[in-house]
Amino acid sequence: MKQFRELTRRNIILFFKDKGMFFTSLITPAILLVLYATFLGNIYKDSFLSSLPEGFTLAEDLINGLVGGQLMSSILAVSCVTVAFSSNMLMVQDKANGTIKDLSISPVKKSTLALSYYFATLISTLIICYVALAICLLYVSFIGWFISFADVMFLILDVFLLVMFGTALSSIINFFLSSQGQIAAVGTIMSAGYGFICGAYMPISSFSSGLQKVVSFLPGTYGTSLVRNHSMNGAFREMKSMGIPGNVVEMIRDSIDCNLYFFDNKIEVPAMYIILTLTTVAFVCIYVALNALKRKP
Amino acid sequence: MRKIIEISNLYKSFGEVKAVQDLSFCVKEGELFAFLGVNGAGKSTTINIMCGQLAKDSGTVVIDEKNLESDVTGIKTEIGVVFQNSVLDQALSVKENLRSRAALYGIAGEEFRKRLEELSKLLSFEDLLKRTVGKLSGGQRRRIDIARALLHRPKILVLDEPTTGLDPQTRQIIWNVIDSLRKTENMTVFLTTHYMEEAADADYVVILDSGRLVAQGTPLELKNKYTGDFITLYASDEESVKKLGVEYERIRDAFRLFVPNTAAAAELIINNPTIFKDFEITKGKMDDVFLSVTGKALTGGESK
Repeated sequence: MKQFRELTRRNIILFFKDKGMFFTSLITPAILLVLYATFLGNIYKDSFLSSLPEGFTLAEDLINGLVGGQLMSSILAVSCVTVAFSSNMLMVQDKANGTIKDLSISPVKKSTLALSYYFATLISTLIICYVALAICLLYVSFIGWFISFADVMFLILDVFLLVMFGTALSSIINFFLSSQGQIAAVGTIMSAGYGFICGAYMPISSFSSGLQKVVSFLPGTYGTSLVRNHSMNGAFREMKSMGIPGNVVEMIRDSIDCNLYFFDNKIEVPAMYIILTLTTVAFVCIYVALNALKRKP
Repeated sequence: MRKIIEISNLYKSFGEVKAVQDLSFCVKEGELFAFLGVNGAGKSTTINIMCGQLAKDSGTVVIDEKNLESDVTGIKTEIGVVFQNSVLDQALSVKENLRSRAALYGIAGEEFRKRLEELSKLLSFEDLLKRTVGKLSGGQRRRIDIARALLHRPKILVLDEPTTGLDPQTRQIIWNVIDSLRKTENMTVFLTTHYMEEAADADYVVILDSGRLVAQGTPLELKNKYTGDFITLYASDEESVKKLGVEYERIRDAFRLFVPNTAAAAELIINNPTIFKDFEITKGKMDDVFLSVTGKALTGGESK
């Protein structure tokens, strides 16, 4: 236990002391913020307004609450995974600079070493993502707050699960990497690609039907949907209370991935939690097994 | 003295490259053991196998009566390693580094505090504890590397070229500490080095070439077997030296004569008392041994 605790502590301190790793992890949220601030925010605002039936108008703060909720969900969905990848770079850096030799000549179990990287990444990523969640909630409270206390609690849970998932995914991928060049390549691919395939940059509903079916097999998309549901539920409730027909609200929910479909079957929120949790558990088991079964060269 | 390291018929290949071939040797407890060879001779491969970092193809490795195959964890607690290049965390302070490494051996809290105090006094780095490792000089960092290797009081200290690139003063400090540990704690020191004067102080020397053991013995045995003696003759002229009929070279203010051994030197001197009025006899050096055995000179990590 001492070994695990101190290794985890070491890994967390190193992440926050390494400015390269720390700032790299913040690139994706920063890109999203710029995208929304420059044009995506207006596009979504126009999209919401155009989807309303004729004769209905929405208050400015409700529109802002919807757009803000979507921005928040996109930032959090992507950050939970990409920050985990950046934070988990230490595992590869230790291999690249030879530090892993110093750790593994001691009588520490491979599984302890592997789990220390996992938990350190988990904690570092949670810290950053909860700070991001707090900033996002603060932002939404200024532009249009419709989020209930229960939804805030669910958002905290969603971020936790998504970070667990992102950390497990990055642990498996990073296990196979051993150089700085490989880290950079994977980091770039993840930062650019994950936002698209999880539906953070563009809603999955706007993809072709074939691509939608492929993406529906990826567990991360359900994580995005969970965050989106809980960040926008309040605004949708408010819309319904203003007399906007339920089918219109459902249409909007479909268009922004609050409702996700697996081969035309709607996936309910509890099922999304189950998918994300089971995937994470499976990934962690695979990661520990990879480390424990790794043979010496 | 009991054998603390016993390696028998060790083989290791990387694809077509035979890194270690039929290597057998033993190290006695408390000994300063020098493991010599040019880069690629198989030294690091052997050390990595001993420390459980590499798998062997065949052979047996027994360290402190523990077999590598059945008790690698036990062996890891007996060995401390100072790597060729520092592998501590550059961004962390000296104390943070040592604290994280000590915990790997179950040393924490008060026990760690006491050990840190002992080591910082022994290696004179009390004033460096809060400094970031990445900002230390080469000599300072080397002292911390040694402290890290000693944290768990290992019976065997493996030093992989510990003084390469260090200034003479720092080298001396490091050797003083190592000598002190050998005397006070009967620690076995397993050394690889490119400095032949360090190898000359060893109790036992093994020389590797292309993965094979090519020579072993005490420095004296190796010198007697693989090199001759040298007589430095002062206050004489070249005509007289030529008459002696031995190989020689002219040096600044004397002649250096090569003789097969000390007996031959003594005979030469006794038979020519008028020529040998001011002279000294020296044995060959470890550099000469290494050159004679491998055909290569060992200078700062490069073979010639």
